[in-house]
Amino acid sequence: MASMKFYCDAERCIECNACVTACKNEHDIPWGVNRRRVVTIKDGEQGERSLSVACMHCADAPCAAVCPVDCFYTTGDGIVLHDKDICIGCGYCFYACPFGAPQFPESSAFSSRGKMDKCTFCAGGPEDDHSSEEYKKYGRNRVSEGKLPLCAEMCATKALLAGDADVLSDIYRKRVINRGASAFEWGVNQLKG
Amino acid sequence: MRIHTLLMMVCLLLSAFQLQAADPPPPPASLLSINPGTDLWREVRQRDGEIEGISQVKSPGANVLVNVSGQSWREYRMQELVPKAGAAILIVLIIIAIFRLLRGRIMLEEGRSGVKILRFTTSQRAAHWTTAILFVTLGLTGLTLLLGRKFLIPVFGAEGFGSIAVAAKFLHDYLGPVFMLALTWLFILFVRDNIPSPKLDLQWLLKGGGLFGKHASSGRYNAGEKLWFWLASIVGLAVIISGMVLDFPIFEQTRATMEFYHWVHSVSAIILIVVSFGHIYMGTAALEATFEVMKTGYCDANWAKEHHDLWYEKVKDSGEPVAQTQAQASPAPGQRESTEPSG
Repeated sequence: MASMKFYCDAERCIECNACVTACKNEHDIPWGVNRRRVVTIKDGEQGERSLSVACMHCADAPCAAVCPVDCFYTTGDGIVLHDKDICIGCGYCFYACPFGAPQFPESSAFSSRGKMDKCTFCAGGPEDDHSSEEYKKYGRNRVSEGKLPLCAEMCATKALLAGDADVLSDIYRKRVINRGASAFEWGVNQLKG
Repeated sequence: MRIHTLLMMVCLLLSAFQLQAADPPPPPASLLSINPGTDLWREVRQRDGEIEGISQVKSPGANVLVNVSGQSWREYRMQELVPKAGAAILIVLIIIAIFRLLRGRIMLEEGRSGVKILRFTTSQRAAHWTTAILFVTLGLTGLTLLLGRKFLIPVFGAEGFGSIAVAAKFLHDYLGPVFMLALTWLFILFVRDNIPSPKLDLQWLLKGGGLFGKHASSGRYNAGEKLWFWLASIVGLAVIISGMVLDFPIFEQTRATMEFYHWVHSVSAIILIVVSFGHIYMGTAALEATFEVMKTGYCDANWAKEHHDLWYEKVKDSGEPVAQTQAQASPAPGQRESTEPSG
């Protein structure tokens, strides 16, 4: 059983926001909702880095833990999805999420938020695969076609990776070794005494 | 001479270093640079508080990579609030059940007098029942959202409970602001007679309010009623303020703000709910001839004499509205030992 993950390589991300645009376009996401965003730390300073963030499909998902109506479920591929027919739009998942992934189409008086929307890892929702209801509520279902999330597929610098956790960590480990990372440096220092 | 010695020492030191360095080959320069990633990831994890970056996405919290308060809020809600709220409600219900078993229904000692005294005006009763109905609705819908996942999903299923929860959230969000108006109205109408009178109230409290024996002396409202009034007003204010912050997420409130007011709202609401159980029991089933007072506005003269003796003396002496029941054939105040069946 696969365990699907995103990984964003901060040494490669160039803050082009193409992943954000691709996501919005692929799933026809309404104005104000952003399933994916790029955050830049130390903008304009030495050590500036950017990261693309969306739902990280946690193994122990805080959103699912605090949901008062238990509308979240994890697929066999380890993708965290939710049922918009059950969601009541209380906003609790947004308070608990470490990554700010849950999004709401509205933010108006009397706590009206509409149904929560978030990254589905391009895996749709509980409706029938490729049905028009599924597309309307959750966007395109690429995983059922054997494709990976579009944001990662089209990332120009291959900073954003999506796929099985084991494969991603293999790719990233090779990159780290090639770069000569601090872990290696730490080992050399130990040898030097 | 001195310079000579110094030079020799420097040479010795240098050669010593050279000897040492000659042993293992020097590592490549790329390995000796400090990894800038360590500081970056420390900041990403926000270990030393929230660090804001920038993002093209403009929404509250979008420029923050990791929400530091989320985990502690999750732990509060799932490990503290849900089990402790459930336990508090259960414990208070058990205490009331034990009290019922010990004291049973507390009857009027002298039975009914047949004479009715005006205790609450129509507007007071209207304010009380408006607030009461709103309170019960808000309490039930709030508890549905808090405990429904544990207790109602097994009964109604996830989809069924989803519909219930949508209705509960709708009622809760729209009736909350109405409750604010109702509680303000109630406060204005009832505050005059709920001003504490320290000596009398302390005596009443020391006697346990007559819960476990002889009646304690009391004015229009006893210390227990006054405590409930002030608790409902002050804790009610906390519930209302926090509720309004949560109900109107249109001022760019941050997640930390919402989490804080959720904490205030949940703790104060649970306090009000468990204490209200005591108030509801005392006002309905616990004492004979009590529920009718808030229902009709009139109390039996003997009820007033037993439960609010000082107030009874006052309204009796000043000859304040002493009305008779519609059902009874108006007996004069002297003929108090009427034949009205008690119970």
